[in-house]
Amino acid sequence: MIDTAAVTMAFANLFDPFTMMLLVVGIVLGLIVGILPGLGPPIAIALALPFTFYMDAVPSLILLLAIYNAAIYGGSISAVAVGIPGTGAAIATVLDGNAMFKKGKGGEALGLSLTASIIGGLVSVVCLAFLAPLLAQVAIKFGPREFLAISVFGLVVVVRVAGASLFKGLLVGALGIFLTTWGLDELNGAERYTFGTYHLYEGLPLVPFLVGLFAISEVLIGAEKALHKIEFNQESLKVTLPGMKMLKRLKGNLMRSSLIGTVIGIIPGEGAAVGAFFAYSEEKRRSANPEAFGTGIPEGIVAPESANNATVGGALIPTLTLGVPGSPAAAVLLGAFLIQGLAPGPTLFEERPDIMYSLFLGLFVINILMLFIGLVMIRFAAKLIMVPMTVIVPTVLLLSFTGVYAVSNSLFNVGVLLGAGVLGYVVRKLGYSIAPLSIGFVLGPILENSLRQSITLADGSVGEFLNTPIGLGIYAALALTIFWGPAITWVKSRNAGKVEDS
Amino acid sequence: MFSQRLANIVFMVLTLAGCIYFAKIAQGFEAAGLMASSGLPSKFFPLLMLGLIALCAIIVFATYVIKGTASDKDEGTLYASPLEAFRGLLTLIAVIAGYFIWSTWGYLAMAVFIGPATCLAMGVRSPAIYATVLVLAGSVYLIFTQLLGTQF
Repeated sequence: MIDTAAVTMAFANLFDPFTMMLLVVGIVLGLIVGILPGLGPPIAIALALPFTFYMDAVPSLILLLAIYNAAIYGGSISAVAVGIPGTGAAIATVLDGNAMFKKGKGGEALGLSLTASIIGGLVSVVCLAFLAPLLAQVAIKFGPREFLAISVFGLVVVVRVAGASLFKGLLVGALGIFLTTWGLDELNGAERYTFGTYHLYEGLPLVPFLVGLFAISEVLIGAEKALHKIEFNQESLKVTLPGMKMLKRLKGNLMRSSLIGTVIGIIPGEGAAVGAFFAYSEEKRRSANPEAFGTGIPEGIVAPESANNATVGGALIPTLTLGVPGSPAAAVLLGAFLIQGLAPGPTLFEERPDIMYSLFLGLFVINILMLFIGLVMIRFAAKLIMVPMTVIVPTVLLLSFTGVYAVSNSLFNVGVLLGAGVLGYVVRKLGYSIAPLSIGFVLGPILENSLRQSITLADGSVGEFLNTPIGLGIYAALALTIFWGPAITWVKSRNAGKVEDS
Repeated sequence: MFSQRLANIVFMVLTLAGCIYFAKIAQGFEAAGLMASSGLPSKFFPLLMLGLIALCAIIVFATYVIKGTASDKDEGTLYASPLEAFRGLLTLIAVIAGYFIWSTWGYLAMAVFIGPATCLAMGVRSPAIYATVLVLAGSVYLIFTQLLGTQF
């Protein structure tokens, strides 16, 4: 049942002039940050977080969603224009986008990426608006055992996709969870790793930790290559939107890729980059002319671009309904909810449906406005690629320091930011992904509380511990995601062996 | 510059040492009063995570010692060149110094220091970049103090 009063309130909230202004500002900022190589959506959201401290819930969340959405699209502009993806999500776009740019069809490539991003975004918003309330209705019945299963699922999936080594991913994931055990024990008040300071009674603060992990570590890595120069041809930047004939030709690709992106976004940790690559390889597999991919064809641009923007709506489904972030950017977005005193999860749909509907409507409007703002801004924004890293590094550092302090008026939190930044830098240099670390840090408290409550409820009985049909379903899905790939490979190799024998 | 193999082996040794240290601290966790007897002890979950971290660290350690790499390909070195290592580590030192300058002499001193110091660490020679960074630092200060009312 749609709550009409909540929908009416959502319209009123969203079309408030201040909120609309923030929505536009968010799109512009997101585009700018997305274009700058190295600064992806999590960093963009993290840097804007301190400003939302002074705002109401709806305008602040709309600002961050606009930044999130536009930053993912913004990454494709530098991917097309200079072959350097502004974000990880745009890596697949480089292949055909930059090839098209080099052929002198840069405007066409930029138009295709803009259109595909918007279509992908809109499809995922529709899925979000329909699926999230349904999932919330189911999730409201979840107890500790179900939340434990969901948390384990989220973490294991993140670890699996995070890098080449499973154990390295698991190690940093467990490290992220371990760090959430610092502070007073929520269940019995024991002091854990407080080291005699009252600052740690509430544990390590989420926002400074995530800002440090993403922003500080990124700029430290960027500082190493700060003097590398970027050169690109500024002509061929006039955007040409694809005509109806072209859209008709690409409609199957657009729909498939948007749905792939949405589904991959829903799976915790499988971010926009995975969605984009998956959609790209799927279209290449289906194509009658796969060797043309990578040479600069429209199909190779619309597939990754529609999929990566579709992951935004997808990632918000588990984030809003279960409090389990669907991506690192969504993990940072969770921090914004907490700043506003809101705890994402099934109860939020019951308690504040107006906010939920405002977010759905807001995402829809963001995608529509991005078309117009993108058309006007691309030509100017693309020149930002020339901003040297030597200016970006100190500015982002100062913004992070100042922003984190502004949220809490605590120098201790700046210390946490710095510590998390150094930790992020070290693990990234050693070849670890920070995605499991960040998701582990967000999921840690849910995992600990649900595990301890489940063990207490089970009272020593394994049968009782697993007496949860939903939980068993989630564990089965987890087993499927782990063993499906190896099983298919094994069957294929077996069949290949039989063919050779015959 | 610094092989991934050696760096990861050292990191795993430090991780294992850290696990032992934190596990020892966890032995001293005590719940207050009546709550002490309710449910699982407070040390249960941290020890579980430390055990998992230690297990993974041992496996990664063994992988690097025996195979030399944790993936299918050669992981190479931590830094592409000594110059990149120098710039990266010097920037890190500048950032840490910035924090201590803030805690000792206040925010303004840090804001003036951190931009030029990181530029110096990155090997910037252009005065225009230094000027731009200082102007941007001034803008950040003004935005937070005048627009958001932050007090440093």
